[in-house]
Amino acid sequence: MTQPQRLARFGRCAVMWGMTQGALTRLAYPIAQHTLENGLRVISSPDHIAPSIAINIWYDVGSRDEEEGRTGFAHLFEHVMFQGSAHVASGQHIALLQAAGAVVNATTWFDRTNYFETLPTGGLDLALWLEADRMGTLLDALTQENLDNQREVVKEEKRQRYDNVPYGDVMELLNTLTFPPDHPYGHTTIGSMEDLDAATLEDVHAFFRRHYVPSNAVLSIVGDAEPDDAFGRAETYFGNLPADAQPTKPQAGPLEPLSGVPRTETSGKVPADALYLTWRIPARGAPHFDALDLAFSILGHGQTSRLHKQLIRRTEHAESTGASTMGLIGGNSFGFSYARARDGFSPEQLEQETVELIDELIRDGPTEDELQRAKAQFERHWLHELARVDSRADALGEYATLHGDPHLINSRIAEITAINNQDVQTAMEQWFRPEQRAALIYRQEQS
Amino acid sequence: MSDLLPRPEIAPAAVWTFPAPTRARLSNGVELMVFELPGQHVVSAHLVLDVPLNAEGRDIEGVATICARTLDEGTLRHDGDEFAELLETEGAGFGIDLSLSGLQAILDVPASHLDRALELFAEAVSEPSLADRDVNRHVQLRLAEIEQAQANSAQIASIAFRGAVFEESRRAARMNGGEPETVRQVTPESVAAFHHDHFGPEDTTLVLAGDFPSDPIEAAERCFGSWRNDAQRRVVAEEPAAGARRTVLVDRPGAVQADVRLGGFGIDRLDPRWSAVSIASYAMGGAFLSRLNAVLREEKGFTYGVRMNFGPLRTGGSFAVQGSFRTDVVVEALAITRELIKVDDVPFTSQEVDDAVAFFTGVSPLRYATAEGVADQAATQVLAGLPDDYVDRSLALLRSVTPEAASEAYRSVVHPDDLTLVVVGDAEQLADPLRATGFPDLEVRAAAD
Repeated sequence: MTQPQRLARFGRCAVMWGMTQGALTRLAYPIAQHTLENGLRVISSPDHIAPSIAINIWYDVGSRDEEEGRTGFAHLFEHVMFQGSAHVASGQHIALLQAAGAVVNATTWFDRTNYFETLPTGGLDLALWLEADRMGTLLDALTQENLDNQREVVKEEKRQRYDNVPYGDVMELLNTLTFPPDHPYGHTTIGSMEDLDAATLEDVHAFFRRHYVPSNAVLSIVGDAEPDDAFGRAETYFGNLPADAQPTKPQAGPLEPLSGVPRTETSGKVPADALYLTWRIPARGAPHFDALDLAFSILGHGQTSRLHKQLIRRTEHAESTGASTMGLIGGNSFGFSYARARDGFSPEQLEQETVELIDELIRDGPTEDELQRAKAQFERHWLHELARVDSRADALGEYATLHGDPHLINSRIAEITAINNQDVQTAMEQWFRPEQRAALIYRQEQS
Repeated sequence: MSDLLPRPEIAPAAVWTFPAPTRARLSNGVELMVFELPGQHVVSAHLVLDVPLNAEGRDIEGVATICARTLDEGTLRHDGDEFAELLETEGAGFGIDLSLSGLQAILDVPASHLDRALELFAEAVSEPSLADRDVNRHVQLRLAEIEQAQANSAQIASIAFRGAVFEESRRAARMNGGEPETVRQVTPESVAAFHHDHFGPEDTTLVLAGDFPSDPIEAAERCFGSWRNDAQRRVVAEEPAAGARRTVLVDRPGAVQADVRLGGFGIDRLDPRWSAVSIASYAMGGAFLSRLNAVLREEKGFTYGVRMNFGPLRTGGSFAVQGSFRTDVVVEALAITRELIKVDDVPFTSQEVDDAVAFFTGVSPLRYATAEGVADQAATQVLAGLPDDYVDRSLALLRSVTPEAASEAYRSVVHPDDLTLVVVGDAEQLADPLRATGFPDLEVRAAAD
C-alpha cells in the first residue's frame, strides 16, 4: 500500500469520447449516480472496450482529520484495513483479488484514503463483497497482533521512503513552514515514529466508527458494467450496512498568504545544495486556484518553463528545477518551486534568480504562447488521466468526494481553457508574490 | 453485515487478445507497426532503434544517453528553445528510453495534434543540432544525476548488484547511462559521431498506437520516409555472461535501513523455462502473500515489502530478491530469506500455480488498455526479437505450466547457496554478523563520495 508523495499535481490519463476543436477537447464520459439509503454514494461510468472493471472507494478521511499526538494514524489505519474482517482472514483481501486477476492497492493523503482494485469483469461481485465486508465488520477481526505488525510495516515504509533517502524530510519541513503546527495540513501523512508508537486498538475502533461509515464514502464502478447493473450490485453488498452520521470535517478557514518570508535551513547527506520555496494558496476549486496552477506550470513545469530555460539552459546554475501546485480542499493548498544547485553555485543565488523570474512573470504576465503551452500540457495529462478505467474511477471518486460533483471530470479542460493572461496575473499578484514565499535551504553536510 | 452473503464465485473471464498491428514498410525501409485503438485519443509513438548499448566505445560509455537526451534540444530547422516550444504547443511530450538492447524515442500527443507533432518528432531524431553547449550541459547533468544515485541506498544496491552479477567486461555490468569516468570523456564530437553512425532507417521500427483521425501510414511516410543515412552501421548485441559469485557490503554509516539484493544470472523470454520461472517467481516473491512477503512483511513486520524479480535481457538476464530492512533485523531477514527460497522440500503447489496464472491473465487487459501500454509492449517485443502475438502466446504457455515444471525450472535457475549478495547499510553494525552467518568472504566497500 503506497502513500503517495505527490509534489507534482499534473499527471494522470483515459478514454475520451468527444470532439477536438482547436485546442479544446470536449469530454463526454457517461456518468450516473445513485445514493443508497445508508448514504453510500455510488457512481457508475460504463466502458465496454475491455472486459475489465475498476472499483474505487474514496473515504473522506485523510491526515487532515488526525488528532494531536496521532499523526500518521489515517495511513496506519489504511494498512489495518487489509488485516481482515469478519469473513476475510488477514492478508486475504489482496490474495483473493490477485487470484482473480486484480491489481489492488490503497493510498492515504491529506484529504483522502482510497481503496481500489481493477480486475476482469467476472470478479466484480467478489470485489464488492470484500469491500463491503471490511466497511461493515473490520473491528470483528482486529487484534493487537495485527495492529502491531502493521505499525512495524508502516515504520519500515517511513524509513524506506523518507528517513533513508536524501532530502527525505523536505515535505515535513515544508509543511511546518507553510502551516501552523495545529493546522490540519501542519503535519505530514506519514506522521512521526512517536505518534505511530502511541496508536492503540481503541484509536482504531474510534477512527473506524467515526470515519468508515457509508455516508462518508464514494464507491465508483467504472468499466464493463451498465449503471443499473452496478447500482444493483452495490445495493446487494452494501445496502444492509447501517447508516451513520457523516463526520464533521476539520474547520480550517482559508488562511492569508504567508508573510515575512519564514525560512528554515537544514543540512544532511545530500549530493547537492537545494532550494525549496513554498506558498500558501487557495484551496482547489476556490477562485484563482486554476489560474495559479497554470502560473506554477509556466514557472517550472517542463523544458520550456521559465525556471528550466533560465537556471538550467541559460545560466547553468541548477541541475534540476520544478514548480507545481499541490491542490488541497481544506481552506488552502500548497504551491512549490525548487532548484538543485550545480557545483559552485549557492541556493541563495538560485533563490534570487527564482524571485526575479516570478517578479517578471507578475509584471509582464505570461506570453500568449506560454499560456497556450501550459493549457496544452494540461489537456494531454488530463486525457491520460481519464484514458484508463482505474484512473478514471479514481478521478470520479476524487471530484465526487472533494467537490460533490463527479461530472467535473468532463469539464476540467474547458475550465482551464477559459483562463486568460489577466486571470493568471491577477491570481499571482494576490497569492504568488515573492514576498509571500517561505524558503527552505538544504545544504550538504560538511564532513 | 447482519444477513451474511456467501463469498461470491468468480465468473469466467471473457476472451481477450493483445491487439494485432498493421505492418507496413516506409520507402526508406523503416518498419511501421500501427495499432488502431478506438477511444485512445492520446497517441503514443515509439521509434525503436536496434542499437545495443555495446555500440558505445568502452571509454565513452554514456554517449548514447547524452545523444538521446540532446535530441530535443534543437534541430537544424528550429533552434533550442524554439523546438521545445513548438512541441509543447502541440501538447506533446517527448521522451527517451535506453536499454541494453536498444534505444527508443517516444512521443505522446493528443491525436488531433499528431500530424504536426510527428513532423517535429522526426526532426528531433533525424536532424538534431546536438550543439556543443547542449551536449556539454547534458554531460554535467548526467554527472550530477550519478551523484544523486550514489546518495540513494536503493540505487547504490542496484548498481552494485549489476556490477557483481554480470561478468565485469560486459556492458550489462555497468550503468546504462555510463559511469562517471566514461561520461566525463563524452564530447560534442563523440555525440555527433554516435548519431551519425547509429541513427538511421535500417533496422528501425516506428510503432504508432491510438485512435487516428487520419491515415497514420501516410503521416509516417511523410515525416520519416525521406530519412536516409548511408553511413549507418549495424552492431550486434553483446551477450552478457555471469560474474563470479560475490558478497558485498556497501557501507552507509548511520543508515537506518539496509537495502538487500540476493540473486544471480537469469534467463531471457525465449528460454523454454521462461513461463515456468515466471510462475515460480510470482509465487516466491511477486504476489502480496508470496512466500517471501507473507513471512517478512505480514508475519514479521521486517519490511515495507520484499520481492523476487526476474529481469530478462535480449539474451540471459538476472534475478534478485530485493527489499529494504531496518538495520537490526537485516541478518535475521537474510537467514529467513535463504531458507524460504529453497523449494526442494516444499515445491510449488497447484494452488500457487493457479493463482499466478489467474493474476497474469487477469491484469493483461488493463495493462494493455491504453495506447501507451500497447506501444510500450510492442517496442519491448521488437527489441527482444519477439513475435507480434507474443503476449497471447505467452499467456497460453503460462496456462500450461504444471507445479512440477515451475519447481524444476526454478531449481535450475536459482541456486540458493550460490547467490550474489549486495547489502547497502551500516557496516559497523552489519559486517561482523553477516560474516558470522554464512557470508565469510564479505567484501566491505565505502559508498562512492
